[in-house]
Amino acid sequence: MRLMLLEDDTILGEGLRDFLQLEGHVVDWVTRLIDVARLAKGPYDALLVDWQLPDGSGLAWVKSLRDTGDTTPVLMMTARDLLQDRITGLDTGVDDYLVKPFRPEELAARIRAVRRRVVGSASSRMVFGTLEIDLATKVASVSRVPADLTAREWGLLEALALRAGQFVSKNELDRLLKGGEEGEAASNALEVHVHNLRRKLGRQAIETVRGRGYRLAA
Amino acid sequence: MVALPSIQRRLSYFLVGVSLAWGLLISATIYVVGRTQVDKMLDYTLLEAAEILYGLLNFDVKQLPLQGELAMATPYAHEERLMWQVVEPDGKVSLQSHRAPPEAISAQRRLGFFDAGTDWRVFGMPLRDDRLMLYVAHFGTDRREDSLQSVEATVVAVLLSALACALWLRTRVRKELGPLGELSRSVAQFDPLQRDARLVASSRQELVSLREAVFDFGARLAKRVANERAFTAHAAHALRTPLAGMDAQLASALRECAPEQRPRLQRTREAAGRLHSVVTALLTLFRSGVDLSLTEFDVGLLVERLPLEALDIRVESSSPIVADLNLLAAALLNLFDNSLRHGAHKAFINVFRDGGFVHIRLQDDGPGIPAEQLSRIQSALDHQEYEGQMGLGLMLSDLIARAHRGRLNLSSAPSGLICEFSLPDNLSAGGD
Repeated sequence: MRLMLLEDDTILGEGLRDFLQLEGHVVDWVTRLIDVARLAKGPYDALLVDWQLPDGSGLAWVKSLRDTGDTTPVLMMTARDLLQDRITGLDTGVDDYLVKPFRPEELAARIRAVRRRVVGSASSRMVFGTLEIDLATKVASVSRVPADLTAREWGLLEALALRAGQFVSKNELDRLLKGGEEGEAASNALEVHVHNLRRKLGRQAIETVRGRGYRLAA
Repeated sequence: MVALPSIQRRLSYFLVGVSLAWGLLISATIYVVGRTQVDKMLDYTLLEAAEILYGLLNFDVKQLPLQGELAMATPYAHEERLMWQVVEPDGKVSLQSHRAPPEAISAQRRLGFFDAGTDWRVFGMPLRDDRLMLYVAHFGTDRREDSLQSVEATVVAVLLSALACALWLRTRVRKELGPLGELSRSVAQFDPLQRDARLVASSRQELVSLREAVFDFGARLAKRVANERAFTAHAAHALRTPLAGMDAQLASALRECAPEQRPRLQRTREAAGRLHSVVTALLTLFRSGVDLSLTEFDVGLLVERLPLEALDIRVESSSPIVADLNLLAAALLNLFDNSLRHGAHKAFINVFRDGGFVHIRLQDDGPGIPAEQLSRIQSALDHQEYEGQMGLGLMLSDLIARAHRGRLNLSSAPSGLICEFSLPDNLSAGGD
C-alpha cells in the first residue's frame, strides 16, 4: 500500500516508516503540514496523521481534506486519549484512532482493516475466482496452492485487490508502488511485474483494457 | 467507630442537672428558713393576741361573767385556730375562749413561749398582779400544716421554675449549637476535589474563622492535588510519543537485525512495553480524577485482551463486574508484570462474590514473598504507607482498588503469591 505518514517526532516517524516499509508498504513521511504540498499527488491507500503538528492541527487538515471530497482512509495517531478527543476525531472524518504509545504491528493491522472497509471486505481474505489473497498473511494462492511472489509483485497484487472491481491506471499503480517515481522506466518495470504476476497466478487473473489500466478478474 | 459524647447532649444534661440541683438547694433553704419564719410570725400573732387580751382582761375582770358557758359568747360558728385561758393560782380555769380545753393548759405557772405537748404552742403571761395566768395558744397541728403548706407551695414553685429554666436552656443550647452541627455535617460532606464543593455559610461569629480555615485548607489541598495530577498527567503524556517511537524503532530493528541480536532487542522491547504499562497506568490513574468511569465487563475477557504475552494467564473462573475498565486493566497489567519480573511463568485468575464484595484473585507460580515481608507489605498497603515498602505496581494497584472503595490484599499460596482485589459488588447491589 502507499501510505502518507504525517508525524513530527523523528524517532517515531522514522521507526514507523521503516517498520511499514518492511511490511511492504510505500511510505511517504513528512513532519509538517507545509511539506504535504511538496509530495506528489495521491492516490494514497491511507493517511497516518498526528493530531498535533508543529505548523498546525492534523485534525483540521483532515477536515479540510474531507471538505474537498477526499475519502482516503485516515488513521489519527495521537497522545490525546480522552473520550471527547476520540469522538471529535472520529466525527471530523478520521476512520480510526490510535492512542500513543501503540505497537506498530497494531498500526499495520488497522491500516489493513481500514482498507478492507473501503473495498467492503469484512475479512483479510479476498477471493477472485480461483485466486485467494490474504492481506494479513500476505499470501496469494491459486486453487489453494500458494504462489511465490516478490515484494513488488505482492505490492502490485495488493494494490489491485484493494481496488477490486475498478481499473487502476499505470500511472496510479506506479505512484502506489514507488511513491511517486514516474516515467518510462517505471512504466516498463510495472509491465514486467504484471507479466510475472500473470505467469504465477494465471493469465486470466489480471485484465487489461487499453487506456484504462489493470484490474483483478472477478 | 466509637460513639463520642455530644457537646449538645452533655451541655443539656449539665444544665438540667444544675437547674434541678439549684432548685433543690433553694427549696431546702426555703423549707428551713420558711418554717422558722412562719413559726416566728405565728408566735408574734400569739404575743399580739395575748397583749390584746391582757388589756381587756385587766380592765375589770370582776364585771365579766366568769362562770361556765356564759364566759365568752361565741359570736358566730367558726373553726377556732387560737384559744386562750385565764388560770387561777390553784390551776382552775376561770375564763377561756369557747374551744379552749376546760383544764389548764399548763399545770405549772409558765411564762413566755412554750410547747404544751404536741398539741399547743402557748404564750403565757401574768395577769392581775401576777395572781392569774393568761395563756394564749395555737393548735400545734395547724401551725405545722400552715408552715408546711407555705413551704411546699414555695418549693414546688421553685422546682417548677428550675425545670422550666432547664428546658428553656436545653432548647437554647440546642439552637445555639445547631450551626456548629450544621457546619460539622457540611465539613463531613465537603470534598475539596469536587469543582463545585461548598461549605454551609456560617451563621455565628465564632464559626466564621473555622469555616474559612477548613475551606482554605480544602482549596489548598485541591490545588496541590490538581497540580500533582496535572504534572503527572503531563509527564505521562509527554512520554507517550517517545515511547511509541522507541517501540517502532525496536520493531523495525527486530526485523532487520542479525538473529543473534534478536533476543537482546526483544528484551529491550519488553522493557519498553513495561514502561508503556506504567505510563499508561499513571496517566489513567491521575486522569481518572474523582469520578470513576464505571462499566460492566467480564474480567476474564479483559484479562485475555491484556498485552502480556510472556506470562501464561489462565482464567479459571470469571464473572461480570462493574468497575472502571481502564483502571482495572492497568492494575491487573501491573500485577501480572510484577509476577513476570519475579520469575512466575503462569498466573491464575478467579473471580467470585462474597459478602457484598466481588473478589478478583490473581495467583502466580512464582517464588512468592517471605511471610515477614508479606506482612510488612500488607501493613503498608492497609495504612497507605507505600514509601520504601513496595514498587509502583503494587502501589498503583492499591490506589486503584481504593478508588473503587475496595482493598488489595496479599497472601501466600503453596507456590507463589496471591493478590486479591476486593471491590464493592455494584452489580449484585444493582449499581450501574
